[in-house]
Amino acid sequence: MSHLISRTFVSTALSLGLLALAPDAHAGNGKIAIKAGRVITMVGPDIVNGVITIEDGRITGVSADAKAAWDAEVLDHPELVAFPGWVEAHSNRGMDRPNENVPVAPFLDVRDSIDPISFYFEDSLRAGVLTINVQQGNACVIGGQGMVVKPFGLTIEQMLVKQGSGLKLVAGARPGRSRATQAQELRKAFLDLRQYLDKLVQDKQDGKDYARREALFQGKDLEKEENKKGRAFEGTANWKVPGLEAIPRGEIDDQKEPLLRLVEGKLPAFMYCDSGSSVQLALDVARANGFLANTVLVLEGDSWKAADAILEAGVPVVLSPNLMYVERDPLTGKETETFVPKVFSEKKIRFALQSLNPSAQSLWFQAAQCVANGLDRTAALEAATRTPADILRLGKRVGSLEQGKDGNVVLLSGDPLSVRSTVQYVVIGGNLVYDRSKDVRMKHLMNGVEPNNTAPGGVMLDASGHPCNDAPTVDEKSKTDKGEKPPEEKPHDDHKDEPKKD
Amino acid sequence: MKLTWMLGGLACVASNAHALLRPAADDKDERKAWTVRATKIYTSTGRTIDKGVVIVNNGKISAVTPGSDEGDASTELRVYAVTAGLIDASARIGVSMDAVEQSREVAPEVRVASAVDLFSPAWERQVECGVTTVLVNPPDRDVIGGLGVVLKTAGDNAIAKRTLKPDAVLRGAMGSDPSQGNHPAFGRPTDFYSRRPTTRMGVEWEWRKAFFDTAQSKQDASKKFPGVERLEEVLAGKLTLSIQAWTTQDIRTAVFLKEEIEREGFGKPRLFIDAAAEAWKEPQLLARSKTPVVLPPFPVGGRTDDGAFMAWNVAQLLQEQGIVVALSAHGNSELDGRLAMQAGYAMRGGLSFDEALAAVTINPARLLGVEDRVGSLEVGKDADLVLWNGEPFEPTARVVGVIVDGVLRVDPRPKQ
Amino acid sequence: MSSFALFLSLLPGVADRPLAIRAEHVLLGDGRTLEPGVVVIEGGKLQHVGAEKDVDVPAGAGRIDHKGWLSAGLIGLHGYSTATGELRDTTRTTLPEARVAWAFDARHPELRDLLAEGVTSFVLTPSPSSLSGGASAFVKCAGGKIVTREAQLSLGFSDQNLSFNRFPTSHGGALAELERLFAKPTGTIEKCAQGELSALFEVETPSDVHRAIDFAKRHKLVGALSGADWTGEVAKDVKASGLSVVASTLRVGEDRRTLRAMVALGAADVPFGFGLDAPFSHPATLRLSAALCIREGLARDKAWRGLTAESARIAGVEKRVGNLAEGLDADLVLWSGDPLELSSSVVAVYVDGERAFAAEER
Repeated sequence: MSHLISRTFVSTALSLGLLALAPDAHAGNGKIAIKAGRVITMVGPDIVNGVITIEDGRITGVSADAKAAWDAEVLDHPELVAFPGWVEAHSNRGMDRPNENVPVAPFLDVRDSIDPISFYFEDSLRAGVLTINVQQGNACVIGGQGMVVKPFGLTIEQMLVKQGSGLKLVAGARPGRSRATQAQELRKAFLDLRQYLDKLVQDKQDGKDYARREALFQGKDLEKEENKKGRAFEGTANWKVPGLEAIPRGEIDDQKEPLLRLVEGKLPAFMYCDSGSSVQLALDVARANGFLANTVLVLEGDSWKAADAILEAGVPVVLSPNLMYVERDPLTGKETETFVPKVFSEKKIRFALQSLNPSAQSLWFQAAQCVANGLDRTAALEAATRTPADILRLGKRVGSLEQGKDGNVVLLSGDPLSVRSTVQYVVIGGNLVYDRSKDVRMKHLMNGVEPNNTAPGGVMLDASGHPCNDAPTVDEKSKTDKGEKPPEEKPHDDHKDEPKKD
Repeated sequence: MKLTWMLGGLACVASNAHALLRPAADDKDERKAWTVRATKIYTSTGRTIDKGVVIVNNGKISAVTPGSDEGDASTELRVYAVTAGLIDASARIGVSMDAVEQSREVAPEVRVASAVDLFSPAWERQVECGVTTVLVNPPDRDVIGGLGVVLKTAGDNAIAKRTLKPDAVLRGAMGSDPSQGNHPAFGRPTDFYSRRPTTRMGVEWEWRKAFFDTAQSKQDASKKFPGVERLEEVLAGKLTLSIQAWTTQDIRTAVFLKEEIEREGFGKPRLFIDAAAEAWKEPQLLARSKTPVVLPPFPVGGRTDDGAFMAWNVAQLLQEQGIVVALSAHGNSELDGRLAMQAGYAMRGGLSFDEALAAVTINPARLLGVEDRVGSLEVGKDADLVLWNGEPFEPTARVVGVIVDGVLRVDPRPKQ
Repeated sequence: MSSFALFLSLLPGVADRPLAIRAEHVLLGDGRTLEPGVVVIEGGKLQHVGAEKDVDVPAGAGRIDHKGWLSAGLIGLHGYSTATGELRDTTRTTLPEARVAWAFDARHPELRDLLAEGVTSFVLTPSPSSLSGGASAFVKCAGGKIVTREAQLSLGFSDQNLSFNRFPTSHGGALAELERLFAKPTGTIEKCAQGELSALFEVETPSDVHRAIDFAKRHKLVGALSGADWTGEVAKDVKASGLSVVASTLRVGEDRRTLRAMVALGAADVPFGFGLDAPFSHPATLRLSAALCIREGLARDKAWRGLTAESARIAGVEKRVGNLAEGLDADLVLWSGDPLELSSSVVAVYVDGERAFAAEER
């Protein structure tokens, strides 16, 4: 029992330890140059001994002879490989719970539940996943709005990359419900919206001002420009609300407004489908309510069997983390396996991968599996970088190492798809935010090094029976007692030129 | 020449990508003679052949040589890489609770071979993962659960014909697994499971008692009990002892027990520790007793069964100490958990490719005493081969062909 | 039909007096049909069976002229009717001296259900609950006769024979115990070991089948495998072992895998009989099982044998029942049509020469 207690203590101590290492939140002069033995740009051939220059958080140059500014910090690692960060197109981790127990809740936003110190973000950073779209989970009908974040920062604002990344809708039957119920609830959500809007218009025409009074009661400033004006109903839904222009937008209930924005084509939609039949439902609902052009399907189960319908609808997809779909013939007992990304690759449907878990089997692993099963290496890499970036409408900001894009770079010890490669450094927005040699948790996991004062029994011995580097010797222990810093927080000698870290 | 080679390899890869080919077991192709040409032949003897050929005849390997890549495509198999069939020394497939005799805590005479279900789909899945030989043990619900058996993963469905080595190890466990289900006799109606042990010390007590009773029965025949002959064989070093011990304290208990047996002159048991997740904490202990180790699957967060923490460099640490390390996947056949992937994770943790290859081929073969038959690509050994479309153990490659005892079980050739 | 009913109502049911039944079709055990044929019953036994022209009907014999089919009574191999609750004892590891015959209730209403579906006799078996549940009994569905109190000895090789809460909990322990019993056999186990009493191997999975076959081979036992749906998938091994199979009752909509396995058994020439599983399955499923298998591809004659002669042989009573042959018990059924056609129904049933059941007039 005491073993378990001390282990819990270790984990907590480790997480706090890592946070203590996080550099300061403000950038220095914002200039950094990264030199790597190989630079994988994702827009053309790899560059040998390439240099990536970043200024003010954006990449200013990527080439074999890019010149660094004289006052830039230089990360010079000819032994490493530079790679744009992986992009996770859809995730519901990193929050306390992925769903609220209200089935139709377009007004909820993940920004209110993302936990910046969740291990998920830490592990994503370690794995080089630098752009993550956090959405609600799948136990809902309309779950709420998502947000694209970077896995670094102590507050949501620091993590923010893009707000309102899309509305989460679920076409698959949620737990405990039937498909028919789910379909009915999904359609009804839009019917309710329509009826609500019609009633608004009707009330206005009848001279009733309930909506206005309610909005004022809720404290909305109806004099603000965007709240004051009315606007006609837009979009390609197969239903319309004539007379909507008479309603000042501020009087539309906040709980329903995101759904209206979706229908008017102003908000992307991420629709979760757990089967081929739910794909059909999702496409029908999207078409009928005018948001098919903004829809991304998030697939699970045998949804891949509806690939033709998806191709026809022209929507991109995010694939389930389980890439190999297995079916068992009940008659013979034989199992047939289908490698799902291959189906979409052959039909030329744009697809993004999801990580299996944020650590050892992250996006790199999924892309590697694609290569193993016959996909082109470039296609596999794109499915975890440029395609998800495009899906998230951040194609101009992330997904490749190109001039003008965000200064996000991952430095790996080897090829990004090799199991032996590890992420050594991560730069986000031009700031060095991760240094593996200082990663206490990684040292524990990969090398069995337990940090000071956390191992039961005192001194840790390494394989040859000597005290471990990080284990305190008698002298160091007394130093700690005197209140001096423990060894790993000693500053670097060349610290004076380093920009302050985020 | 290289171009045609690569094209041939690409063709194999492309055509296999969509749907996995079914094993050729019940198809027409039951012949046991093959010519396998590969760009890389990893023999597990320390020798790698660049561009060579492995010839299989009558179910055995008859040649492993450098060679040309010309050949008759209709009768030959061409792939990027070949290794020996993988061996999982702790496979945990084909058995369930009816394979462990829980009426007693010490049941050395019970043979798990009586309960192995060769019809479980898990076998085919293991073949597709490239695992050709496994050690199957009774589930660890008893202190000493019985006799494990080494089986091939494909072949006849009669257990006798699939057995590579019967009664290969005597299996037991330290730690909390054997206490599962047991409870003290007070406070509730008694049943079968109201008995010792309910704690680690109780488990160790049962071990000591078993060996003590064995020693006693040598003097006094009236003290003989079912299975005592097996324990005598263990003491004599004729039957290998496999003890599951996840945590440091359990590993210590097992090793100290063995050392005490030797010191007191009761015998010289041969021991290997299974699921030694925390072996990284005291590698010198295992080194001084030269105890080989089978590692469990690498856990993503480090935390694994029985409260143990497994650091990913455990294999490397142990190798450096000269300890023989074998990896295992515990029956997992998923993309991220299968034995080939465990070898990949071991490389991530610091092993070289050759060391990782040994840990899933020749090392477990030696541990189980079947290295004369399997574990490497050498002339005379069983024709158990795994064919890959890339570098083995990297997730960018996968198993495209498997031959077990000379029979092609997974066909790398494009479907006609 | 109505004239036949008239005949029936006129006949006294006197066993001593010989009875000649002429039927348009008489279905013999080897699948041949006599068209028409005559069967003469006397003293509860079949005296003559043959084509009409070949049979001399004794003077003074009663006569029945049946426009439909006549066949031997169906045999329900393996059933629990009339004694369900008393066939399980899980408290002991083995109970080889138990005789299920003690649990047989000759007046049980379930017997009427059996007769109504043409089942004239069946094997009452112990429920799989321990390593040996005892000896099964062969009983008649009318008249209360127990033909034998020791038809087969149950030996358990499936999970159902193990227990969570008593020895053995494992197949290894079970085999060790069975080996121990057969090493120094006594009582019914001795008879079984010497080949005098056939064994009923209780199995469920193909692994169980293999284990049972190995055990039978080691101890040179004869008998039948009972309880595995897909025994046919290892038909070659079963054939090589010389054991027979008691097929599980099939249900409509049963997965086709079971049906294919049955056809495979037939193709491999493995002797089998259809199990009854009554009262958990309705006795009508006996014929239904046969019909489904025939539709799947099983040879008709094998299906018919599986309902009659083969089942009798498996139960060790082939000298008494299972066929329309001289000297055997007069257990027969008058059908409205071919018994292997589901559109046919039972018209009348005779057990030991006595009319035991007559269908009501529609």
